[in-house]
Amino acid sequence: MKILVCIKQVPDMESKFKVDAAGTWYDTSDLAWRMNEYDEYAVEQAVRLKEQLGQGDITVLSIGSDKVKETMKKALAMGCDRGLHVSDDQAAGKEPLQIASVIAAFAQDKGFDVIFTGMQSQDRGSGQVGVLTAEILGMPSVTTIVDFSCDGGVVSAKRELEGGVKARVKVNTPALFTCQLGLNKPRYPTLPNIMKAKKKELLSVPVAELLRADARQQTTKLYFPEKKGGGIVLEGDVGELADRLVQILQEKTTVLSR
Amino acid sequence: MRFELSEEQRLIRETVRDFAETEIAPSAAQRDEEERFDRGLMFDSLAELGLTGIVFPEQYGGAGADYISYAIAVEELSRVCASTGVTLSAHLSLGANPIYLFGTEEQKQEFLIPLATGEKMGAFGLTEPSAGSDAGSTRTTGVRDGNGWILNGTKIFITNGGEAETYVVFARTDKDATKHHGISAFIVSKGTDGFSFGKKEKKLGIRSSPTMEIVFENCRIPGTNLLGEEGEGFKVAMKTLDGGRIGIAAQALGIAQGALEQAVAYAKERKQFDKPLAAFQGISFQLADMATQIEASRLLVYNAAYRASAGLPYSQASAMAKLMASETAMKVTTQAVQILGGYGYTREFPVERMMRDAKITEIYEGTSEIQRLVIGASLTR
Ligand SMILES: Cc1cc2nc3c(=O)[nH]c(=O)nc-3n(C[C@H](O)[C@H](O)[C@H](O)COP(=O)(O)OP(=O)(O)OC[C@H]3O[C@@H](n4cnc5c(N)ncnc54)[C@H](O)[C@@H]3O)c2cc1C
Repeated sequence: MKILVCIKQVPDMESKFKVDAAGTWYDTSDLAWRMNEYDEYAVEQAVRLKEQLGQGDITVLSIGSDKVKETMKKALAMGCDRGLHVSDDQAAGKEPLQIASVIAAFAQDKGFDVIFTGMQSQDRGSGQVGVLTAEILGMPSVTTIVDFSCDGGVVSAKRELEGGVKARVKVNTPALFTCQLGLNKPRYPTLPNIMKAKKKELLSVPVAELLRADARQQTTKLYFPEKKGGGIVLEGDVGELADRLVQILQEKTTVLSR
Repeated sequence: MRFELSEEQRLIRETVRDFAETEIAPSAAQRDEEERFDRGLMFDSLAELGLTGIVFPEQYGGAGADYISYAIAVEELSRVCASTGVTLSAHLSLGANPIYLFGTEEQKQEFLIPLATGEKMGAFGLTEPSAGSDAGSTRTTGVRDGNGWILNGTKIFITNGGEAETYVVFARTDKDATKHHGISAFIVSKGTDGFSFGKKEKKLGIRSSPTMEIVFENCRIPGTNLLGEEGEGFKVAMKTLDGGRIGIAAQALGIAQGALEQAVAYAKERKQFDKPLAAFQGISFQLADMATQIEASRLLVYNAAYRASAGLPYSQASAMAKLMASETAMKVTTQAVQILGGYGYTREFPVERMMRDAKITEIYEGTSEIQRLVIGASLTR
């Protein structure tokens, strides 16, 4: 089985974010970088699938500057077999369709049976790259999966829908899956595997060779949400507090019907 | 000269930090309170990560990484739990490393591989009631008996004692030789007849790490368990401690880093006189000094580690690293408690534990005075 996992390097979400000089993205200097959380689930699921089958070949793909190779090394240390780095210093400015076009152009003639992506990235959060890639490749996609099992070319996946509802989907491979929190607990790469990852294949190709879509969107402004007014602090005895809280909830919100 | 970590070293830091924060940190305060060692968590899970043999070659069950990676691992564990940090350091630097450095191929096969893979845990027995800083005063005896040896004596303050399966211990094998001549090193396995455990120490800090007395009463071990040459045990001990000091220096560094982060976070949150503490120059200057001393310690620790991996002499470098990092840890944790005020003095916050843990780094594997002795001697030799 041939498996592709697409990962993105994102800033550590604990970082202090600043809007950049152009005002269209965050300032990338002085940030700590790591693998997008949802992509960790994707990598883990790919490795588990290979372990379950006892065979398979996992390619990990990432688009970005040279620095994303460090995150790819983590995926290799977790168990991916080879890496394809699409070299692009301007990746952050590309819209989801462009990113998807790059992945699809690479994947097109490789015969991948299963493609895993994260459900969304923690920084841009469009949630579109996976589905657009599947669309371009003409394969089905199953989004926000929290459970995955594969039996002879048929995948059974559980999707997380809105409001706590889940759906069970059966799909024939080849297919693409976008991974959600709850799917699995990603393993820690072991030290020996970190050392061995050095020796695994990690090729770089310039993005121009794979980019098939022009930009159609333009980010005009990135900004922090305006600070909302301060909260209300209620004081008094408990019975009185409860009455006033109920009154406020009735008047100012739809939480309690009148 | 390059001051940047390699990609692998950075990935090792990220991995061990994630692991330490997710798995080790949550129980650190409680294990300290209960003086409880949790082998599954504090050793077996390190083995799964491949930490128990970081610096040894793959052929001996190790990860084939360098000493900087090792220092990073101990630092990151100690940043959240110094007891876990020393468990690894004592196992690897003191238990396993002398076998790697001085063992025969057979000894490496029999003892080093299970230690490196973490199937077994290691410990080091040098200190005795009357032989502390002055390790040459060792009174435990080793007497030839046919093709074996018979050990008699008591070792105290043994980290991982009772828990470990493999002990590197030192005994006087030549009564007539003066002081540190006439001492030999041996490998003793838990379960050997005549080898037992005495009292467990109740301690100020690193309370989740077991420290035990170990006792030899007519304990017979095979001749093949002599480690290094007969009479060369003191050299084995000193070389082992040179490496071990990198581990303890890294432990101290991690404790200090953990305390600094707590102090910074608190100083930004806590308001007095209508301002966050961090806005008072008196506090921010303290934080600045703490961070500067930690960074200086880190460079010394990584330098000693670099030298160890590069095959350069590192005895002086590791003594300097341990001296600086441990004294920094003590200063920084004390200041962190001060910055947290009354809250810092309570067990609601981890800085009081860090302050208690920091103190041992100035004592074991050579007190600060002994580090100064080593450095001084290397200057005036
Ligand atoms: C928690 C813990 C864990 C330990 N783990 C281990 C272990 O795993 N294996 C092991 O073998 N040992 C271990 N030790 C022992 C430790 O290494 C010794 O305690 C340490 O070397 C000091 O020896 P001592 O306690 O006998 O103090 P002493 O040597 O009696 O020193 C007392 C004081 O005198 C000072 N002093 C001594 N000589 C000089 C000098 N020449 N010049 C100036 N000052 C001097 C010392 O610096 C110290 O301040 C451990 C100890 C503790 C507390």
